[in-house]
Amino acid sequence: MKVPVKVTVNKKPYSVEVDTRMILADMLRDVLRLTGTHIGCGTGSCGACTVMLNGETVKSCSILAADVDGQEVTTIEGVSNGANQLHPVQEAFVQHQGLQCGYCTPGMILSAIQLLKENPNPSESDIRHGIAGNLCRCTGYQFIVESIQAAAKAGVKV
Amino acid sequence: MKQVGRSVPGLPNRLLVSGHGTYVADVSLPGMCAMAVLRSPYAHARIVSIDTSRALAAPGVVYVLTGEEIARETNPIPPVADPGLYGGKSLAVRALPTDRARYVGEPVAVVVAEDRYTANRALELVDVEWEELPVVSDAEAALAPGSPLVEPSWGDNVMMHKEFTRGDARAALAAAGGRVVRGVVKAQRYVAAPIEPRAYAASWDAYAEQLTVWSSTQNPHPLRVFIAETLGIPETMIRVIQPHVGGGFGQKVPTFPEEIAVAYLARKLGRPVKWIEERTEHFLAGGHAREEVLSFEAAYGPDGRVTALDVRIVADVGAPATFVGWAMSYVTAYCVPAAYKIPHCRVELFTAVTNKCPWNGYRAFGKEAASFLMDRVMDRVADATGIDRVEVRLRNFIQPDEFPYSQVSGAMLDSGDYPRALRRVRELIGAEGFPEEQREARRQGRYLGLGFGFELTPEGCSLPHTTMLSGYDGATVRVAPDGHVTILTGVTSPGSGNETGIAQLVADTLGVGLDHVRVLQGDTDTCPYGLGNYSSRSLMIGGSAAKIAAIELREKMFKVAAKALEVNPGDLDAEDGQIFVQGAPTRRIPVRDVASLVYRHAYGPEASEVEPALESTRYFRIGNVHHQPEVQGRFSAYPTWPSGACAAVVEVDRDTGFVKVLRYAIVHDSGPIVNPMMAHGNLHGGVAQGLGGALYEHMVYDDAGQLRTGSFMDYTIPTAVEMPHCEIEMQETASPFTLTGCKGVGESGVTGPLGAVASAVENAFPELNLALMETPLMPHRVWRALRDAEAGRS
Repeated sequence: MKVPVKVTVNKKPYSVEVDTRMILADMLRDVLRLTGTHIGCGTGSCGACTVMLNGETVKSCSILAADVDGQEVTTIEGVSNGANQLHPVQEAFVQHQGLQCGYCTPGMILSAIQLLKENPNPSESDIRHGIAGNLCRCTGYQFIVESIQAAAKAGVKV
Repeated sequence: MKQVGRSVPGLPNRLLVSGHGTYVADVSLPGMCAMAVLRSPYAHARIVSIDTSRALAAPGVVYVLTGEEIARETNPIPPVADPGLYGGKSLAVRALPTDRARYVGEPVAVVVAEDRYTANRALELVDVEWEELPVVSDAEAALAPGSPLVEPSWGDNVMMHKEFTRGDARAALAAAGGRVVRGVVKAQRYVAAPIEPRAYAASWDAYAEQLTVWSSTQNPHPLRVFIAETLGIPETMIRVIQPHVGGGFGQKVPTFPEEIAVAYLARKLGRPVKWIEERTEHFLAGGHAREEVLSFEAAYGPDGRVTALDVRIVADVGAPATFVGWAMSYVTAYCVPAAYKIPHCRVELFTAVTNKCPWNGYRAFGKEAASFLMDRVMDRVADATGIDRVEVRLRNFIQPDEFPYSQVSGAMLDSGDYPRALRRVRELIGAEGFPEEQREARRQGRYLGLGFGFELTPEGCSLPHTTMLSGYDGATVRVAPDGHVTILTGVTSPGSGNETGIAQLVADTLGVGLDHVRVLQGDTDTCPYGLGNYSSRSLMIGGSAAKIAAIELREKMFKVAAKALEVNPGDLDAEDGQIFVQGAPTRRIPVRDVASLVYRHAYGPEASEVEPALESTRYFRIGNVHHQPEVQGRFSAYPTWPSGACAAVVEVDRDTGFVKVLRYAIVHDSGPIVNPMMAHGNLHGGVAQGLGGALYEHMVYDDAGQLRTGSFMDYTIPTAVEMPHCEIEMQETASPFTLTGCKGVGESGVTGPLGAVASAVENAFPELNLALMETPLMPHRVWRALRDAEAGRS
């Protein structure tokens, strides 16, 4: 069964029809073709699919697409302003090598932005707890932590 | 500015942080179908019948493929390394079985449908009649007489039995006058768990007669060879594209049944087909690693020198498959006794098959168990003699002037300075002040311990008789008419950053900036033939090939520049996009202008004596590999031997057994470092996987062969909270056998945490006689060891 969904994604309004079983991550990826949101587990454990729903991070594999009707979603594609104007948190990840394979990175960056929004001057421990919902298998997190520290130090407005 | 030695951020970083990478899941083609896999619910069962009619009748279902069609239409999948060629047993394995399933999760049929939801739902409409068979889920049980047989045609469950000897270990142990330590080291079953699961897509163009396969693989060219052989079509008909790969760690080396099924079905159906692994499938069937039991006896002198070592290794490699994983058991045996000189040594290996998921490659590839074993041996000798744990290692190390050093297995260790690294890591972790720190913590009721580990991680694996595992690779370097450079490599990057290091090597050789260099990898139609990414080979072998090709172009450009500047080519150097006269840098010509002369003025006075165009494809074959058979069937399979001295400080909760790593340090030696930031990043990641293995990660099966840890909630990999800050220092002893002296850093860091953490937990309770021989050191295991040790003391 399909249901109509009106949703604003990255400040752009969409009207789509989705299967009632469809998860938000699949709607973003397969219907809207915003493939920057990645799926790593499908059970809300890894955080690769993290997006913002009404300004708060959520795991988009654990939300039904039909449930975002009338709401606002921000994905990694909405974080930067084109290829030459990355978000300062993205720029910090680039410079401090806060990534390797890049698969967990979009979710990690959204969690980092959320963290800095709530706590602009986080301690190392605050940062580690702030990204504990995002698994990374490549970096051992150290350069991710350093990237977020650098972004905080630069006084990033999120 | 020279690029080598600089911490340059990864070339694909901007693309990846903005979500614009392309992974296989992002590949979408018109008319693309989705595949779903029906897996065995039993560890061992006969397939009595498969009825696909209900599934085929379901709306949206396109096709159902079973083993019967696979047997009729395809060849067995060529194994990456056939155990039969190394003294073990071979087995022809096809993508889907016709008769039996041999582990839970083994693919038995696949459904293709218009979309993924429909395909998954239709799996329950495939009716399989099963007859359960006896299960063997433990390696020792598998070796016992009368065990159920995983592969009845073999007659037993021994895939391989191997023995390496030097001197007479048994006699030396008997003559040791009781100065013998014994123990059983157990390494648990592991899974790689890259955050991107396995993913494949394929499309057939009937008019062009071309099959394009997108695979989250580490090895596009070998995969093309294997698909061609399996489908019985020429390699030229197949193009394998490796888009961005979301982590590999050895697990994404070929060849999986699902890769073959996707490729076969795209051609058969004439429609693009895609399969994205579910996380549960990764845990069930993505390939496991590491489950080994190592029983040892070691004789030592009063000075702590180990004089004899006898080790029996039993590896539980799961069911026989086309995966390369079984070879990790061989490598464990091959690496004993690692960094140490032991005159009398016997290493016996039993590679046992069971009704569990087959092993596939995983970072550290068996080397970790050998180093962990030796760390435990050294600590037990330290306990027995009262000599300091670091000192015992120092007394037994191979010394820096003794390389190349031949080990009992035929391994030829190339280079290193183990004593210097271990002494330095002792300083780095603050060992001198630690006893006071420990006493102060005790006064507060906290239990701190300091431990050491020493890892040896041979790299550049090269085995005889394999398509994929060999010590060479190729690269093409092109300088365009505008002076911009393209590098195409046979090696690939699953996120580990070798493209950046290779670009740095080539940029320096050609004297251009990194912003003028582009690296293309992972496409069999454009890149030179190469073996891809494994065994930390990409920079040291692939980078060497690229450097040789760049040197060739540099010489050619210098010839042209020399004519233009009216000097000898030997007088020239190049940097920052300029070719200039050494000692007179104002006499110069831009690389761009030289390229232009070559392409646009081929008959002119400067370029007429060189072959037109600036393009070179070269191959590099690494030294220190010896494949000539010798009396014990031994060979030198690893050209380089990076090493790492590791130290951990842990806090142990005496009441719960919970271990927290407070700080971690490693002094690592992988030769000269091209990009320190990338090398450190690889080490951080390696240490995280190592600490995961030391403390948290464990694939658990029950007696019926059912997996009990099928999700990230059960198989817990470290989060940022569990990871300590990791202090890294590089020690750079160059390998004499590689072009750049590089030894590889891709698998480093993974091994040391096992020994260091076990040693540190023991050290937190010096008053107890703790001997922790089994990982992971989960709270219940540490708690039990503490209670047993306390009971033993009272």
